[in-house]
Amino acid sequence: MKQKIVSVLLSAAMAATLLAGCGSTAATTSEAPAAAEEPAAEEAAPAEEEAPAEEEAAPAAEEEAPAEDASAASSELAYKGEISMMHFSTSEEAEGNGGSDAMRTTIASWDANHPDITLNQEVLANDDYKTQIATYASADELPDVFLLQGMNTISWVNQGLVLDLTDYITGSPYADKYNMDYLVPFTVNDKYYAFPALTGGTCTVVIYDSALWKEAGFDEFPKTWKEVEEAKKYFDEQGIDTLAFGNSGQWQLNSCFVSCLGYQYTGTDWFSNIIAGNGDAAFTDDAFVAALTETQRLFHDTGIFNSDFNAINNEEAREYYIAGDAAAFIGGNWDADYIKANLDEEKYKNTKFAVLPQAEDATKYEKFQNIGLGYGLAINPKVADDPDKLAACIDLVQTLTGPEFADYVGENYALGGFTKADFDLSAFDQYVQDFYNFSYVDNKGCEIYDSYVDSSVWSVLNTEMQEMVNGDKKPADVAADTQKAYEDYLAGK
Amino acid sequence: MLNSIRPKGRVIFGYLVIPVVLFIFTVFVPLVAALFYSFFDWKVGPNKIFNGFDNYVKLINDRTFWASFEHNIFLVLFCIIGQVGIAFILVMIISSKLVKLKGIHRTFGFFPSTISAVCIGFIWTMIYDQRRGILNFILLHMGKINSMKDGPIWLNDPSKVMTLVSIPLVWQYIGYYMVILLSAVASIDTEVLESAELDGASGFDRARYIVLPLIKNTLIVCVTLCVAGNMKAFDNIYVMTAGGPGYSSMVMALYGYKTSFETGYLGYGSCISVAIFVLSLIVIGGSQALLRSAMTDKYDKIEAKLQKKRDKEMREAAKAKYGKGGLR
Repeated sequence: MKQKIVSVLLSAAMAATLLAGCGSTAATTSEAPAAAEEPAAEEAAPAEEEAPAEEEAAPAAEEEAPAEDASAASSELAYKGEISMMHFSTSEEAEGNGGSDAMRTTIASWDANHPDITLNQEVLANDDYKTQIATYASADELPDVFLLQGMNTISWVNQGLVLDLTDYITGSPYADKYNMDYLVPFTVNDKYYAFPALTGGTCTVVIYDSALWKEAGFDEFPKTWKEVEEAKKYFDEQGIDTLAFGNSGQWQLNSCFVSCLGYQYTGTDWFSNIIAGNGDAAFTDDAFVAALTETQRLFHDTGIFNSDFNAINNEEAREYYIAGDAAAFIGGNWDADYIKANLDEEKYKNTKFAVLPQAEDATKYEKFQNIGLGYGLAINPKVADDPDKLAACIDLVQTLTGPEFADYVGENYALGGFTKADFDLSAFDQYVQDFYNFSYVDNKGCEIYDSYVDSSVWSVLNTEMQEMVNGDKKPADVAADTQKAYEDYLAGK
Repeated sequence: MLNSIRPKGRVIFGYLVIPVVLFIFTVFVPLVAALFYSFFDWKVGPNKIFNGFDNYVKLINDRTFWASFEHNIFLVLFCIIGQVGIAFILVMIISSKLVKLKGIHRTFGFFPSTISAVCIGFIWTMIYDQRRGILNFILLHMGKINSMKDGPIWLNDPSKVMTLVSIPLVWQYIGYYMVILLSAVASIDTEVLESAELDGASGFDRARYIVLPLIKNTLIVCVTLCVAGNMKAFDNIYVMTAGGPGYSSMVMALYGYKTSFETGYLGYGSCISVAIFVLSLIVIGGSQALLRSAMTDKYDKIEAKLQKKRDKEMREAAKAKYGKGGLR
């Protein structure tokens, strides 16, 4: 009899273990290995589910919340319990990346200041984060606070996955210091849905060795592609590449090249119309096709780039620059950070920054560099059921994008975020000062294409451009296929 | 006696239900869920719109999907010849009397199949690398190219890329099939092989006319595993080329993944998953039928016919002798 009871118990336990795999996400969250390393993710028994507070109080409290926030930022929050949060500032990412480092530091300090609130973080590397957050969104199980990617804003807002934060942004205690331009990717029908997070960095920068280019006869980086092609002759003799670029991930050519070169042809209105989806702009427009044609010519015909650009990624391509195998490299701010940490002293002194040269037939040339904040901190609308919890979440996101964050990245990395910071730029060396001026002062900012519209459109463009620069596909065909994906997206929107 | 130690029916049922539950939750439920979602227009988010067979119509006209299917078929054929074929040759070499230290050969042959596919992808990406890869290094020292920079950019060549991403898969799994085939060959009675040797059969003759027919069933299992494995190939291609350049090395599973998680069309992604399942079943079923008919010797067929005839005669004789009821 005893044996029987034991065997029944054992099989029940096994079955329960099996079924636990399909259990609640709360359990998964606290068990996630990445979260385990977070100081906040304590293994302590989770607090009982907060019962939704009196419902009739919710809307009123919601409206009042911004006013309360000013004091909330400095005083105690009424909420006691858990807040789930998901982001991608892993400890590896934070090494050398100012935005991630500041994010982790600010989270840790907020967490320490609010001992009554348990912050459950799920921290994944960026690629995994994108997959995971999409899965949660599809199951309608988004965490309380998460990073919203600019290009998902419209479709997620339309599906009711993101809380309207307009009042909390305009009524924020730090509102006067906000750089409102960064809100554009998170705006739908004049309402704001996220606090732009991390740091605003350029996605397209030419990083070059001024000493090498001087030898080639250029005191500064050439202003036109024609001159770059002339310089190639000299660098060929030296046995090095003129420009290094890596596109095996397929997104690089879009984010770090076409998104900037395109503006030289289309000007600024075209992409605004593409974002608006008002029918006034199409990927098949002559100006955009001309930009693609020039891209194909530069990569396929001129030989100014390393020949293996489609087989290596940007991380490998920047090594060509660091090792002296290329006279310049085109990448984003993350590459500039990495290169900075890995150059020898002399090359560090000689390294300068430039915008993409002017294409000969580009009619709307300006010194464009695409800059923005690709992600914003957003809040799950379900949080609004509990006004105290909402106030805590608002306080968290305001802190993570506010002066504490901005001062940290400013003072330590000379980077800017959503909130303007005062810091002494002259305390930094020339490289950092130059890059700061390149990013925020000297050039004309333009939008990063894939912060907007939809991933389904960019997936087609990115994949087909890889064939295009190999010479296997015509620019007009790439434009037509992209336009089709764009129309499908608009039809579904 | 036996009944007294035999557990009760419901105890046996209780234990057996565990794997069934496991199977249902890990295979059956996702499959049915994918089938269900494939009828929806579902972009990332909670909203789904039922759209009947629209996804399937789109799939039939989706050139990229069918190109991916062709790539999978290429991969299957390449790997059957590469993995199972080479494994069989290696087995014949290892089981020969001349080869010493068989255990070591077996262990090291099996080694690559224990490495994760992602690592294999990275290793081979380095081998194919234009400027630092060993392949171009060898070409350089053979005098085929003047410098590493002039060497071929292997993974950027649409006409070769499928072959190049298949080679690591072959390399990885030869050992796996070698071990399976070795155990099958070991079960062949050595007397049969020895007497064939005495009769003057060459090594090739023994492999073709004795070993191959005797391990037929194992071989069919190997081919089935190989087909099934390559119809769902994903990881090392994802690491090496991510399906590129363009769509040149796109396979079905990768396309399904990209559709679901990069472009966010989960309904269409589910539809692709269902298509992968159905197409894989067809290809596996087809390959088994093909293999069985190919491996059935014409003498086997004659023998089977004769046996049928003999059985019939016996039955008729019995009927004649014992009347209508036949032999009881």
